[in-house]
Amino acid sequence: MKLFILRNVTILIVKIIKLLKKGNGYTLPGYIILKLFPTILKDKTFSFKKGIVVVSGTNGKTTTTKLISDIFKANGLRVTHNSSGSNLLRGIATALVMDLDFWGRVKTDVAVLEVDEFALSQVLDFIDPRVLVLLNLSRDQLDRYGETDTILSRWIHSLEILSTKTTLILDSTQPILSVLKSIFKGPTESFNSFSPQGLSVKESFNIKNVNAALKVCSLYKISLSKCLETINKFEYAYGRGEELTYEGNTFKLYLAKNPASFNNNLEMLLEGAFKFDSLLFILNDGLPDGRDVSWIYDIDTQLLERMIVDNNITTSNIYISGTRCFDMATRLFYAGVPVPRSNINISIKDTLSGVSKSPSKTVVLPNYSAMLDFRSITLGRNIL
Amino acid sequence: MKLNIAYLYQEHLNLYGDTGNVEILKFRADARNISANVLNIGVNDKINSSFFKKINILFMGGGPDAGQKDIYKDLLKNKAPYIKDFIENDGVSLFICGSYQLLGNYYKAEDASVLEGARILDLYTEQPGKGVQRCIGNTVAKLNDTILNDPVFQNNNYIGDLIVGFENHGGRTFLSERSIPFAQVLKGYGNNGDDFFEGIHYHNSIGTYFHGPILAKNPHLADYLISKSLGLDKLEKLDDYLSTSAHNTALRLRQ
Repeated sequence: MKLFILRNVTILIVKIIKLLKKGNGYTLPGYIILKLFPTILKDKTFSFKKGIVVVSGTNGKTTTTKLISDIFKANGLRVTHNSSGSNLLRGIATALVMDLDFWGRVKTDVAVLEVDEFALSQVLDFIDPRVLVLLNLSRDQLDRYGETDTILSRWIHSLEILSTKTTLILDSTQPILSVLKSIFKGPTESFNSFSPQGLSVKESFNIKNVNAALKVCSLYKISLSKCLETINKFEYAYGRGEELTYEGNTFKLYLAKNPASFNNNLEMLLEGAFKFDSLLFILNDGLPDGRDVSWIYDIDTQLLERMIVDNNITTSNIYISGTRCFDMATRLFYAGVPVPRSNINISIKDTLSGVSKSPSKTVVLPNYSAMLDFRSITLGRNIL
Repeated sequence: MKLNIAYLYQEHLNLYGDTGNVEILKFRADARNISANVLNIGVNDKINSSFFKKINILFMGGGPDAGQKDIYKDLLKNKAPYIKDFIENDGVSLFICGSYQLLGNYYKAEDASVLEGARILDLYTEQPGKGVQRCIGNTVAKLNDTILNDPVFQNNNYIGDLIVGFENHGGRTFLSERSIPFAQVLKGYGNNGDDFFEGIHYHNSIGTYFHGPILAKNPHLADYLISKSLGLDKLEKLDDYLSTSAHNTALRLRQ
């Protein structure tokens, strides 16, 4: 009864907040739910037959949870997945409650949750995952998260008290994560960066995401060949290699929100995954991005230069936009990539009309809110 | 002409893109046909006074707590005396955040334990304790009069009297009576959020909390350091449209 009321009131509140355009509506209901029933997510009546899979880390969360969720679905499991990107405690609580059936009963077999690396400790206070995947840890949004050491010590604290029924899955190639292995008392598995046979994904950073997902699926007794069937026709989540067309031009989006993800994308473009003729950088300093943009000086400028030269991109085909476009332009200038003034514009819309003079294929490297802005302009609607 | 930049502890002290400052100094020197050379000095590298004789600019960035612990002993024991000499003989240097704190008299941590500083800059830093917020946000400050009245600065200044940046520090720094702040805070916390002082200016050395990196959006400051370090009155003007636009954008950002 409790869950019946909760579920339907939550859906109502989210609808109202969305109607009023006061955000995506996931935060407030989650706050109320956890305030009234702090143990609800650990409740017997709220349990998934196949448990909860939690994925956290600086980069690759969205791709990895989507991989796991897609494979699960292809193999007959019903999945709850916070695919809208609400990955903080309250948003997750809301997403879980909303996915109950009308009567307030769990209607899926398993939950696959992407969890913000800073919010992880807090989330683990409220839910007991069957599998916990920690992908990686690197610098991101220092003004919001603090140093990586701060996050690591929070993780350590959580693993000390985490139920030993949980299976922990770690990246064995990340030295910074090795300390976690000795702290957690339960079963630990690891994954690496070797490409499994029969995989069509080429980018090395995505191979790690794939291997993490394969590890999870093997715990669920899904065979490698079954997994690969799904992975080889995998469609990336929004903003991760997503292709959009706008006024006759093609745009390929690669989220570049911190030095590690920026460099990963440069590496992939250097490897020559596909042909393109223009580049668009978009840098915002909105709330989800962090307001400190100094991280752009930690990107690998040699990699940047090689990528631009190898793809025959001239500076006249490079565009820069976003609220901090001049910061990015200055950064590129000092890296030996002087972008002409006429290609720099705060407004994404105006920048696009410049790019659109000739049919082209443009690679877009936006940070988080810039990616959302770009999508809402090119698709003509808000997605999340 | 040559510009030798000594870059101390790059490996351990680079958290907020501070390394960009060295890249920018090198770029701006090279653009004037001054051949810039960056000497990376790590924990195990020995330096002495003859090393500093050929150095024009000394740079140290900020770092995570762990990084500062790694270099602390080496800095105080093996390097501080030579750095002190360099600074007091009017060598040009720039210290950001963590290194600015370490060169002071002491650093009092959150648990009230006291870490001896290198005692080169006359200041001290204290963590206000648990629950007190870090100083985080966009910053704007007005350079001190010594710099503003220096003809070398005036000759290279096409932007104005202000500097912009981003700060992110827990420690509150207090200057001694004798010390001169680098700038006066117009937006942000600065040294401690109370006295409106930002950084320190001692001989030709500057300590500051400004990241960004600081030289990215303050090309007038970058050129001042280069000019000063080479004893030049003025550098050839560069096209600074982009960094000036970024500077002007930053002036309007909320804290």
